[in-house]
Amino acid sequence: MIQANDLCKIFKDKKRGEVRAVDGVSFECKPGEVFGLLGPNGAGKTTTLRMLSTALKPTSGTALIDGLDVVQEPQKARKRIGFLSGNTGLYGRLSAREMVTYFGKLYGMQKDAIAERIDKIFTMLDMLDFADARNDKLSSGMKQKVSIARSVVHDPPVMVFDEPTTGLDVMSSRTIVGFINRCREDGKSVIFSTHIMSEAARLCDRIAIIHNGRIYAAGTVQDILNTSGCDNLEDAFIKIIGE
Amino acid sequence: MRFRTVWTIYRKELTDTLRDRRTLIFMLAIPIVAIPLMIMAISQLMMSQIEKQMKYESVVVVQGAEYITDELWTRLLDADRVEVKSEEDYRAGDSVCEGELKAALIAGEFEALMVIPETFDSAIVSESRTEVEIYFDEAELKSEFTVRKLKDILEPYGEYIVAQRLASRDVPAEVIEPFDINSHNVAPMRKLAGEKVGAMLPYVVILMCFMGAIYPAIDLAAGEKERGTLETLLVSPASRGEFVVGKYLVILTTSLVAALMSLGSLTFSINYMIKGLPGEIGKMLMLQLDIGTILLVVLVVLPMSGIFAALLLSVSVFARSFKEAQNYSNALTMMIILPALASMLPGVEMSYQLALIPVLNASLIIKNAVSGTVQWNYVATAFVASVVYAVVLLFFAKKWFERESVLFRT
Repeated sequence: MIQANDLCKIFKDKKRGEVRAVDGVSFECKPGEVFGLLGPNGAGKTTTLRMLSTALKPTSGTALIDGLDVVQEPQKARKRIGFLSGNTGLYGRLSAREMVTYFGKLYGMQKDAIAERIDKIFTMLDMLDFADARNDKLSSGMKQKVSIARSVVHDPPVMVFDEPTTGLDVMSSRTIVGFINRCREDGKSVIFSTHIMSEAARLCDRIAIIHNGRIYAAGTVQDILNTSGCDNLEDAFIKIIGE
Repeated sequence: MRFRTVWTIYRKELTDTLRDRRTLIFMLAIPIVAIPLMIMAISQLMMSQIEKQMKYESVVVVQGAEYITDELWTRLLDADRVEVKSEEDYRAGDSVCEGELKAALIAGEFEALMVIPETFDSAIVSESRTEVEIYFDEAELKSEFTVRKLKDILEPYGEYIVAQRLASRDVPAEVIEPFDINSHNVAPMRKLAGEKVGAMLPYVVILMCFMGAIYPAIDLAAGEKERGTLETLLVSPASRGEFVVGKYLVILTTSLVAALMSLGSLTFSINYMIKGLPGEIGKMLMLQLDIGTILLVVLVVLPMSGIFAALLLSVSVFARSFKEAQNYSNALTMMIILPALASMLPGVEMSYQLALIPVLNASLIIKNAVSGTVQWNYVATAFVASVVYAVVLLFFAKKWFERESVLFRT
């Protein structure tokens, strides 16, 4: 369960002065639901997700992850979040197994629990063949699987995907899309950001259209099409943000 | 700060770092392979130069050889590694030279020109003052050495004449030389060795200490940014302080290992080189590294590594990319070299003021340690000062690591 309550983030920029990157964003994402943040580059998607995942502190407002406040109890909230972004990298000199083990330990898991979990994830993602090879020797699709395995080693109830398919080839992005669907089936709360309309339409149970740090509209894809009176998401998007 | 988490981070980063070829080059390859090779190459060059100098026969042309006394001429002819030629002989044997003898000297045809005045012989007999002119080319090492050889012939000859004159007047030699000056060197051999041979040792050790820290530091912070792994760390439950300390300790480790490796390797290769020197000098100049000295060096290098690690980690966190961090590190290297050179400057002596200057204090203490002179008051001052600097810098690195504007600098 994710609840964002009036999240604001103000950056101080030498040239532009105060920049309100995120300005009063609120939404909710229930278990078993995929919630999409749809918006152009610079809309505030990444900043919002970074606040949810505790990488950034909100200037005001907060978010609850399974009822845990990300501002008050960030350490506890982090254990319940899996985070993956399109440009997440790997440690090239470690193997998949070493890397996932490392993150398991960072999340406070015991050795046996990690080994068991790795067996399960690696089997599920069909990674056993390359689990002990160095990451920098892997293909991009394999690397993506390692990233996925890393993000779910602690079996989090909440998944945060920040533009997960950006810059990926078809095979790798298919892997990601499949994984997002699986997360929904497993009953996780999934939030992900994208600027690709078709991806949002295909994957999300509900979407929010975000622009200039504000949410302009939220609901199911059908809701948004209905209220805007358009027959495709792209036209609806343009109409809603008013450009 | 949870020790277990720090240990997890330390182990992972150390494993990762030790698989990095660049780190291994600075930590192991340079100290174990490059330094001994360098020392051996230098020593080979020096030995061959010394041998050349020892065997070299200087040619000296004597202008006015007919005015010279028989005694001096015999002494010149008998001298080792000096070939004297009268002007006539020289001109006869070498038709190329027709002009000025000095021009030929400058051209390097021979090493020195001795000019004997017409009145030389008679002046010696009549006991009036006369002179011998020697022309040489100071820009040429050979020529300079030749002058030394000539003085070694002329001065005893002068004393011989004085002795003869005194004897003819029944005056004892003590009249003109009322006392002897006997200087005795009391420096223990070890101190001498440290002073003469060990001066460059601190410089290399300090530089390697810094070099050993550079690549891990860049990789552990700027590298995380560049790979896109930093964000995954930030959203993990380990605190930023735990990451800083874990990473810091890894850099400290590689820096320390690089410094100690170079210390060992330098000592070994310098001693190996000195063994090859002829005679007793070799044994005298051997560097001695006992366990006490090594511990003292560790005591000095450890807080310095601490300073380097914190400094480089801060710079690396700030940098946007690997490349940027590299540029900053290069600039820092220049700032380290200067104080590290202190031990090689003559006349720089330890004081409380200098003990407070990081790097410079280490440079002087290591030099003294190798010479076997340990001034504990300065060691303590330097240690405390460096630890304080290291802690302050580490604290700064941690603050840096907690600032969003630094972490997400674009």
